[in-house]
Amino acid sequence: MTQKILLDNIEHDDHATLAGYQSREGYQGLKKALGMKPAEIIDEVKASSLRGRGGAGFPTGLKWSFVPTNSEKPVYLIVNADESEPGTFKDRLLMERNPHLLLEGILCSAWALQAEKTFIYIRGEYAYPYVCLKKALQELYDQGLLGKSVFGSDFSHDILIHRGAGAYICGEETALMNSLEGKKGQPRLKPPFPAGSGLYSMPTNINNVETIANIPFIIAKGGEAFASIGVENSTGTKLVSASGHINKPGVYEVEMGYPMLDFINNECGGILNGGKVKCVIAGGSSTPVLRADELEGVNLDYDSLKAAGSSLGCAGFMVLDETVDMVEALLNLTHFYSHESCGQCTPCREGGHWIEKIVGRIATGEGRMEDLDLIKSVCSQIAGHTICAFGDTMVLPYKSILAKFPEEFEAKIKKTATGFYQPLNFIGNSAGDNH
Amino acid sequence: MSANEMITLTVDGHEVTVPKGTNLIEAAKQLGKEIPHYCYHSSLSIVGNCRMCQVEVVGAPKLMIGCHTQVQPDMEVKTQVTSEKVKAAQESTLEMILINHPLDCTVCDQAGHCKLQDYHFEYNAKPSRFIENKVQKPKAVPLGPTVMLDAERCIMCTRCIRFCDEVTGTGELGMANRGDRSTITINPGKELSNPLSGSVVDLCPVGALTHKEWRFNTRIWYTKQTDTICPGCSTGCNVKVAVRDEQIVQVKARQNDLVNKEWLCDEGRYGFNRFIPEQTFVDCKKDGEKIAIKDALAQLKVIKGQENIFFLAPELLLEDFYLIKQFIAQHCPDSKVAVAYRKRELTSVEAILISPDYAANYKSAEFLGLISDNPGKDYEEALAAATASPDKNIILVGDRAILAEDQNDQLMAAIKAAPLSALIGTDANSGLYANAQLSIPSRSIFQKSGLLTNKDTRFQYSDNLIAFAPGTHPEWRVFNLLAKELGSQIVKANSDREMTLELLASDVFSADESGAKPTIRDIKTAGLSV
Repeated sequence: MTQKILLDNIEHDDHATLAGYQSREGYQGLKKALGMKPAEIIDEVKASSLRGRGGAGFPTGLKWSFVPTNSEKPVYLIVNADESEPGTFKDRLLMERNPHLLLEGILCSAWALQAEKTFIYIRGEYAYPYVCLKKALQELYDQGLLGKSVFGSDFSHDILIHRGAGAYICGEETALMNSLEGKKGQPRLKPPFPAGSGLYSMPTNINNVETIANIPFIIAKGGEAFASIGVENSTGTKLVSASGHINKPGVYEVEMGYPMLDFINNECGGILNGGKVKCVIAGGSSTPVLRADELEGVNLDYDSLKAAGSSLGCAGFMVLDETVDMVEALLNLTHFYSHESCGQCTPCREGGHWIEKIVGRIATGEGRMEDLDLIKSVCSQIAGHTICAFGDTMVLPYKSILAKFPEEFEAKIKKTATGFYQPLNFIGNSAGDNH
Repeated sequence: MSANEMITLTVDGHEVTVPKGTNLIEAAKQLGKEIPHYCYHSSLSIVGNCRMCQVEVVGAPKLMIGCHTQVQPDMEVKTQVTSEKVKAAQESTLEMILINHPLDCTVCDQAGHCKLQDYHFEYNAKPSRFIENKVQKPKAVPLGPTVMLDAERCIMCTRCIRFCDEVTGTGELGMANRGDRSTITINPGKELSNPLSGSVVDLCPVGALTHKEWRFNTRIWYTKQTDTICPGCSTGCNVKVAVRDEQIVQVKARQNDLVNKEWLCDEGRYGFNRFIPEQTFVDCKKDGEKIAIKDALAQLKVIKGQENIFFLAPELLLEDFYLIKQFIAQHCPDSKVAVAYRKRELTSVEAILISPDYAANYKSAEFLGLISDNPGKDYEEALAAATASPDKNIILVGDRAILAEDQNDQLMAAIKAAPLSALIGTDANSGLYANAQLSIPSRSIFQKSGLLTNKDTRFQYSDNLIAFAPGTHPEWRVFNLLAKELGSQIVKANSDREMTLELLASDVFSADESGAKPTIRDIKTAGLSV
């Protein structure tokens, strides 16, 4: 952990204030950006090889270049602060402790995209981060640094913060836009893509909080400097939200390519109570799990985790020790995803719940051997058949847990198999008779 | 790229050329192939949520939904016919939809005309692997004065929501909750009471939405279903009417994008029975005395050469108007003719579909030159003339020859006092029947078949729905018989069908370039515009 881009100076209590932030070279990147041509900024971001930190890892510069220039319609920038992936809490820290870095990143990005307005869509449950961000934003408005003239320039820009209402799916970009427009938070069909027709049918660019927070550094120090941090295809640093059975849970900024075992042993302070790792969910709850014996040589970057059969996602790093019952773990996940399915398209709406009910049966001793194949079959009926990526990603951890810990499921089924099934009211709302 | 650019692609190896922007469902339809779908409707926005229309596009990594995928040059589309992947996806979708669908087909009004039954039978037909409890949702929820919701049967296609948002613009419906708890619901402070509300039942592919009027009425397979035209106004909405035991038990809109898309107003749909009199008369009468039809026609002969006043009901068929026109031209050309017609005020939602007249077929009379192009003025003048000229015969054809609101004492007295007043109609409880000196029974619009002309001069086929009483004659035949009495039969036809054929062959309809006259089939498909 040599270089800090995002969490630099957050130990100072006044860093969340405008004065404190400016006293530590804050808004220097923006001042430089406003002197550059928008296209030059996009080129810098392309040179940085920055990839989206929301989970998909799409190259940010490329994404920006999809937004039409000289559009007659207003261009909107959306910051996705709907951080809802279980195991992820990095954006919260950024917004609480370093809100001006995000605002500076927004203004740099907005200038690069010639955006008229920025909408920050913040997770509804993030009450405190909302207050912090709102306070920082108000400081800018009070000082006359936002609105008609951004930091004294000819560029005018407004930033609005919108609080979500508690739906995981609103982190999906088009569901987020529907929600912002006052509609039900359900993903849209694509095409059209947001860059052409997004929020209110206007050209829209949407990025994660962490992605945007990297922009001031890229502008201040140059894309090359950013690209020199990390490894090939995974440049810069990454905020990792570490949780689970570790001694020091928290948000850590590590250089891309940092070895996973080192991260567990050093940053995370090892396993809680001297236990042993059973598995790691490295990228957030929707990424495939890695068994303890698969961790050796895996690094925290896009390519390494992909090669290991998982994904960096948004680095919601969860360590599960040997006390964890994987059937219960899967049940927990399936409950979350079936609860958060927006209900729009058939496979995810029905299939997600079906899997939850099957796993629920296994967990409570009503499982059948054929249920394991049934779950896999339903997973394949969901993935690739839905409107948004929710269905695709939901089944990834399910399939990996089933594939990597089959013995736990089989044991549970064998132990209690009675040969016949009695309807059982598990989690959910199905009370009453079975018909 | 020009707007009318044509694109050629193949569906299951069959080539088809369609305009740019066409989606795959419509392109396949051109080949007579069905890509099954629930949520897609050609006149509503596309949401792609049912996933039933997935097809394989060669080269695409995933299956594509036919509703949202537009044709591209040289695209190779594979449907369930040639693609195992598509077949599997359809089976999967149906299995998923049925997970929480109550299998209460035995008491469901939709059974027998249910897309879920049809598709399950055609594309899946396997027992479910789902052994858990189904989600329970509200049942028998009134959404408004006309429609009931069974949320458990709903498959979340959201057609009803989109109809209220996009067509009527009234926005009464929404979706509450998430996941498999999602439920169609009434938005706060609203009720589904717009003038087209019953259309959501037609749009519902399953039995989630049902008509309050016809719930638990009959199994659809015990009914005779007939394609016909709504006689409520001159829009001429295409409908399918189910009849059991000579009673209308359900009215559905029929898709005709040139007329009513697939919508129908509540006034029309639930108002079919207003064209069926509670009590009909089946005998000819003169001053209260029952007489034979021959004698009745003999009485009617006195109108020859007179300046009679003809009041015609707007639901008469083109055939009826044709005969009346011929008759008047030959025997009493100085007569005054009017079709009951009065415009009314419409709300903006009513105006989406409803015409401001109550006159389904006034356009036929106008088309034949029987009345002027100002039917309202003709009617008002005829009303005034009837009361002001006690020396003229008044001939009333059809039960609504005079609108109910105009049947005042003064007019009734004039009908009573005229040298001859005659009603050719069916309703034994009407004021016209009570006051006309001579009455000859005919048939209601549902008891005969023939052509209606809508406000855009589109000829459409109104079919026979219920049986007529023996001894009655359609209006056209009454005038043909009367002409025969007077020595000159006008047409040879004996039945409604022969009459329509004779009319189509007459000089009323011109031949097309190939010299062919329109056929009944031409008119039945989507109507005929000249």
